[in-house]
Amino acid sequence: MGEINSDVIISIDELHKQYEGVHALKGVTFNIKSNSIHCIIGENGSGKSTLIKILSGALDRTRGDIKFEGKLFNPRNIRDARNQGVVALYQELNIVDDLTVEENFTLGREKNTLGIIRKNSDLNKFEDIMKSLSESISLKTDVRDLSTAQKQIIEITKAISEDCKILIMDEPTASLSEEETSYIFQVVKKLKEKGITIIYISHKLREVFEIGDYVTVLRDGQMIQTKNVNEIKKECKGVIVDAYNELVRMMLGKFVVETYIPSETDFTQKIIEAKNIKNKRLKDVSFDLFKGEILGFYGLIGSGKTEVARVLYGIDSYDGEVSVKGRKVTYKNIRGALKTGIAMIPEERRADGIFGELALKSNIPMMKINSILKNGFLNRLKENILADKYIKKLGIAARNRDQKVAFLSGGNQQKVVISKCLNCESDILLMDEPTRGVDVGAKREIHEIVRDFVKQGKGAIVFSSELPEILHLCDRMVIMHEGKAISIIKNSRQLDADKITKIIASGGVVNYDS
Amino acid sequence: MNTKIGLRQIDQKIVLGGIVVVIIIVMSFLSPKFLEVNNFVNILLQISPLVIIASAANLLMISGNFDLSVGGVYAFCAILHAFITKRGVPIAAAIIIACIFAIIWGILNGVMVGVLNVNPVIATISTMYSASGFAYLIARWDGGANIAAGLPSNFSAFGRTNVFGVIPIIILIMIIFVVIFIIVERKTVLGRYSFAIGGNRQAAKLSGINIPGVIVALYAIVGLLAGLTGVIQVSRVGSAFPNFGEGLEFDVLIAIVLGGTSIIGGEGTIFGMLIGASIVGLVANGLNLMNVPYFYQTVTKGLILVIAVLINQLIRNRKRA
Repeated sequence: MGEINSDVIISIDELHKQYEGVHALKGVTFNIKSNSIHCIIGENGSGKSTLIKILSGALDRTRGDIKFEGKLFNPRNIRDARNQGVVALYQELNIVDDLTVEENFTLGREKNTLGIIRKNSDLNKFEDIMKSLSESISLKTDVRDLSTAQKQIIEITKAISEDCKILIMDEPTASLSEEETSYIFQVVKKLKEKGITIIYISHKLREVFEIGDYVTVLRDGQMIQTKNVNEIKKECKGVIVDAYNELVRMMLGKFVVETYIPSETDFTQKIIEAKNIKNKRLKDVSFDLFKGEILGFYGLIGSGKTEVARVLYGIDSYDGEVSVKGRKVTYKNIRGALKTGIAMIPEERRADGIFGELALKSNIPMMKINSILKNGFLNRLKENILADKYIKKLGIAARNRDQKVAFLSGGNQQKVVISKCLNCESDILLMDEPTRGVDVGAKREIHEIVRDFVKQGKGAIVFSSELPEILHLCDRMVIMHEGKAISIIKNSRQLDADKITKIIASGGVVNYDS
Repeated sequence: MNTKIGLRQIDQKIVLGGIVVVIIIVMSFLSPKFLEVNNFVNILLQISPLVIIASAANLLMISGNFDLSVGGVYAFCAILHAFITKRGVPIAAAIIIACIFAIIWGILNGVMVGVLNVNPVIATISTMYSASGFAYLIARWDGGANIAAGLPSNFSAFGRTNVFGVIPIIILIMIIFVVIFIIVERKTVLGRYSFAIGGNRQAAKLSGINIPGVIVALYAIVGLLAGLTGVIQVSRVGSAFPNFGEGLEFDVLIAIVLGGTSIIGGEGTIFGMLIGASIVGLVANGLNLMNVPYFYQTVTKGLILVIAVLINQLIRNRKRA
């Protein structure tokens, strides 16, 4: 990574953006070097999104200059920016599942003879680029059969085939498994070899060290620092944890270090005892959850961890035995699970968790409507008091309790989903990817909420594909692989990702005290 | 910049309130009779069956479902009521029996849509045809194309009652149901769950909300009100026809959609529906006063429905932009 072409391709000078009453960018100034991978990090609300929207032509700036290859860059709209060679890829993929890869590429520019579609001559170029990035995709494949990462490759290929010079990637790995993430990283590195400059937005700080050449930290609409990633590594003498903490300090303006804090678990009392759970996706899963414990399920996508959550929450059927607090349970639906004292925070918060068009205060009591009833009717006062309680307790940043949840940031939406579950007053909380797409600050807060929850003599199960999350939060971890619980490991501060990976690689030798 | 924000914040209800005012002004110039008190009572009488049914159907649409069978159920219950009172069943008992059948039709819809997951259009159209078919059958069992002769002397007493001597009973019942459904919409679990299911069905399911139960209940209520309204109207008219209430389902749909209730659910108010129903009533009345032939009136209704949907989309897209 040492030899970077030092030519500046984009220079941003005193960039300001004011929305109605909000000063989103307050004079941001920095340069992006040609043919580099430039990471931009910052908490939600720091101005990253605004910045990339201005760069990609989606938003007007209030004032300030952007120079692109030495010339002033004022794109009128997204198409204009694209024509000049700046393309942004957002998290929502602009791709049609029902079509094949080829049809997606030619969509909107089909060439036809008498209405019959002819083969597109650009197609060969498209195929060449795609093959150079990834061998695994074929033009005739239905897009629906591709993974999220592969779909991203198609979007990237589309962008490059239109001669893009700067590719802006907005959290490309937010919903990817570790495996897919490394696949995307390989592609990003290949793009760099092709001479493309990449602006990379991410919440996952370790990605900065894995692929970044430079990193710019934004906070409250201001540029805090732009640094060479190698320099940061050097300053921290190669200790990644220190370098990571240094970035967090720049982002938050204060030192926060997250380490594993053991819960006060009562190992004499089992809250859940699951024996030989089997169904279509699961092949024999057994585990216990103790009083006051945070249990983690770790595994890649498809390993069966989400399926375990679905079984416990009464969504999927199963063979085997589940006992809650010593009693065998027989419920077959979600309401049964809730009655038994199990609540779940679903994986996809927008699709499965929040009611976006409803007010914050209406979302919170949704899983236990009794909590705001008075004489059989919804009671506004009770509803307000309940909302205020959780806004304060969980630190939900909203304009007020009547704000629609769709307009909150990802982290705050997740806190609303958690409030919904806490309000059930259940004894067991299942959390599927509780901090996906959530920034570092909110992530820590959410972890703190889980620790508080189990302190009351309850139990939580965290299902995550992020190993650091499991290592920071969970007292024991169940490693899932192809529908099986291959080992259960007790956490300790000596444990790290490498050791876990070794255990998985060795086929999952069960060892309680590592 | 400012005008942009202004446009975004425009509410469908304000646009429609404006349209109501414009219609009233235009009509008062076109027809001297339009502004008479009598004419307004007429308009209220005309829209009251529609408003009674729509106050429940509005909540159903908020939950993301709708009912095209209301006209059929309305006709079925009207005919049934006439048929059994003619055979000596006391009026009060006959009303209750008709209402029970109305609820059964509603539950049938609810079970098809909520439990068996049949598409609402298909499920309720099939109910519409069945209920309407039975209406014709019952008329035939009575021995004719309709039931007009031989009804008990007090058959029309109920429907033609004027409360306090001045308010026709159907208008009073309309007011009562509007108030009830404003309360249901804002203050009850059923109302809240309807918004939740229409807003995000998957999240509602994962929150442990009994979705089939809510949907069956909503369809049963809509069915009940359709049947009850049919009974009151048949009593007002004094004779029962099986084609009673033809096209009623579309008037209900127009009023609800005009009022800003989202076609896909999750949003909407009774108040909006009231404005929508007023437009439907005012236009029909105005065209009548100007002696426009019936068929042009139907064409106009079709146009209003399309315009209603367009306004609905336009405002929704603006909000999203």
